[in-house]
Amino acid sequence: MRGFLKVALLSAACAVSSYSASAQTLKLGVLATLSGAGTAWGMAMQGAAELAAEDVNSKGGLEVAGKKYKVEIVAYDDHYKAADALTAFNRMVYDDTIKFVVGPLGSAPALALLPVSTENKVITMTMAFTPKALSADYKYSFRPVIPSDVFSDPQIKWVVQKLGAKKIGGLFPNDESGQQVGAANEAAYEAVGAKFVAKEFFERERVDFVPLLTRVLAKGIDAFELNGNAPQTAGLLVKQLRELGFKGPIIRTGGDATADILKVAGKDATENVYVHQPINTDSPAIQEYTKRFETKYKTPLNAFSPFFYANVQMVFAAMQKSGTVTDSDKVREALLGLKDFETLLGKVNWIGEAQWKSNQQLDAPFYVAQLKGGAAQVVAKCTPKVCE
Amino acid sequence: MDYSILLAQAVLNGLVIGVMYMLMAVGFTLVFGIMRVVNFAHGEFYMLGAFTGFFTYVYWEIPFIVCLLIAALTIGILGMLVERTLIQPFRSDEMSGMIATLAISVIIQNGAVLLWGPQPRAMPDIVTGTLAIGPFSFPWSRLVVIAAAALIFTAFWLFMQRTRLGRAMRAVAQDTETALIQGIRVNYIYPLAFGMSVALAALAGALMGPVFSVSPFVGLTPMLKAFVVVILGGLGSVPGAVVGGLLLGMIESFTATIFGSLMSDILQLLLVILILLVRPAGLLGQREA
Repeated sequence: MRGFLKVALLSAACAVSSYSASAQTLKLGVLATLSGAGTAWGMAMQGAAELAAEDVNSKGGLEVAGKKYKVEIVAYDDHYKAADALTAFNRMVYDDTIKFVVGPLGSAPALALLPVSTENKVITMTMAFTPKALSADYKYSFRPVIPSDVFSDPQIKWVVQKLGAKKIGGLFPNDESGQQVGAANEAAYEAVGAKFVAKEFFERERVDFVPLLTRVLAKGIDAFELNGNAPQTAGLLVKQLRELGFKGPIIRTGGDATADILKVAGKDATENVYVHQPINTDSPAIQEYTKRFETKYKTPLNAFSPFFYANVQMVFAAMQKSGTVTDSDKVREALLGLKDFETLLGKVNWIGEAQWKSNQQLDAPFYVAQLKGGAAQVVAKCTPKVCE
Repeated sequence: MDYSILLAQAVLNGLVIGVMYMLMAVGFTLVFGIMRVVNFAHGEFYMLGAFTGFFTYVYWEIPFIVCLLIAALTIGILGMLVERTLIQPFRSDEMSGMIATLAISVIIQNGAVLLWGPQPRAMPDIVTGTLAIGPFSFPWSRLVVIAAAALIFTAFWLFMQRTRLGRAMRAVAQDTETALIQGIRVNYIYPLAFGMSVALAALAGALMGPVFSVSPFVGLTPMLKAFVVVILGGLGSVPGAVVGGLLLGMIESFTATIFGSLMSDILQLLLVILILLVRPAGLLGQREA
């Protein structure tokens, strides 16, 4: 049996090496959650990588320094767990010798594998929102998605000024992340002159918020903040707020929950609701990408996907500029050198030096949308400094 | 918002959750009174009722009252089958019976997760809009729950008081052996009582579906609260379950409105303990001889 295994392994190894020698393959890793609760995000990342690869492969491959490379996607599931992510990443680095990875997805997996990726000079494109995902120590860690500590301040400022909201209320889950979001939100609102007059915490399994909302409304709030709540909970909150007769604006500063809010609360209750929107759904480039993604994967597009698609395109451009697909130092330099790079998100750049001492955060415009007649309409375009 | 509105709102909220606790507790206490079984799977029948209501209402688009009837019937029959096959063998052994219901609860809940997934589903309202009386505004969706629960309980009460079967059930609850001597067929009464009990839970679940949402875990809280209500009202006492349910709903609503969610959970149970210290057998319970 052992002898047979050895022979099989040996012949497999020969097959792989002879294949790569003749076909000039460029392997692009995807390390994301491809099963369980985070699948929508993982699919968004894998789809982005596959579509970007499809673009270059359809033209006969990516042309770098006179040679054509066929891009091959190698995807591993991290089950949204740090330990699994690290195992899969080690396999990518040591067995597959991959130098460019779309991922990791969550903050915990990111923190677990960033030391390994740094040591092995592997360029990663992460979705982790943690501030620690970017730092001077992690030279090869890039982040294409815009985290809440970048988008919440300008959006809150815009909302407070535009709506003239002075007294804000909000309900947050009673656990560490809920407490953190609650405190961060309170600080952000107070920084722009509004006051958080009612802040309540509840156990996550609670579904009847009416007593708590009654208490919040009794404080005479002008606007209600939904940040920190799971998409379904956000929908229930909107529904129950309207049932209690609250007609003021409801604001969702956190991640994308529009679909669930609309589904749970219905069209009428969601008038006068303002949400953060990472992409402009009115843009033709985004609409085209959405169509392409949804036809291929038969699932609604998650708004994070275009960011990874853009990032992979930038990595390809950087490879062409630096003339290498193996030297990640040179590719990194070229990547950072891309200015006003044209993508489906609009013109993008790299920022973040002041905040994280690492200029590897993608800077793309983001939006504030208002829900009207059951659909989101963009009402303001934002940069990390200001929404207008 | 002034205090009168706050007060009116708290009363309405208290009534809504109170009637739900009442429907849950009445079924729970019925099974205990008749069969001496603590049915830990009671909450799961609530959840199954909510799902039945959800699927029939959303996919078949039939009138909600028909959905309620379907939920009560199917879950009631399922309850009878469960009693016959899984609970009857442990009839003389209360402890094993309890563990059997615990097992049934785990099986039903995990089965629901496998079948329908863990994510909550939103159910559309049966009625929309609010009833505005002066400065007060009451959502119709909640008023309907109160009215429907009152009707369901009245029907149940009339059945227990006026029909031969209801009288037979009460006889079995009072004294099984004497009931047997009178010619009551206890072997038919047990599954029937169990079926009725879980049908009440299913009705509560289907009624609350549109107000909250539907997921495999929705039965957990009502089950725990029903337990508290039954102890508060007196084990085995139906009027006790009604009083206890409404009282717990009110306490929960008022403490949450006045002191917030975290204090509310503490105060609720503190009050229950205080009441039990004064009346150890529960509000309307009788001390066992």
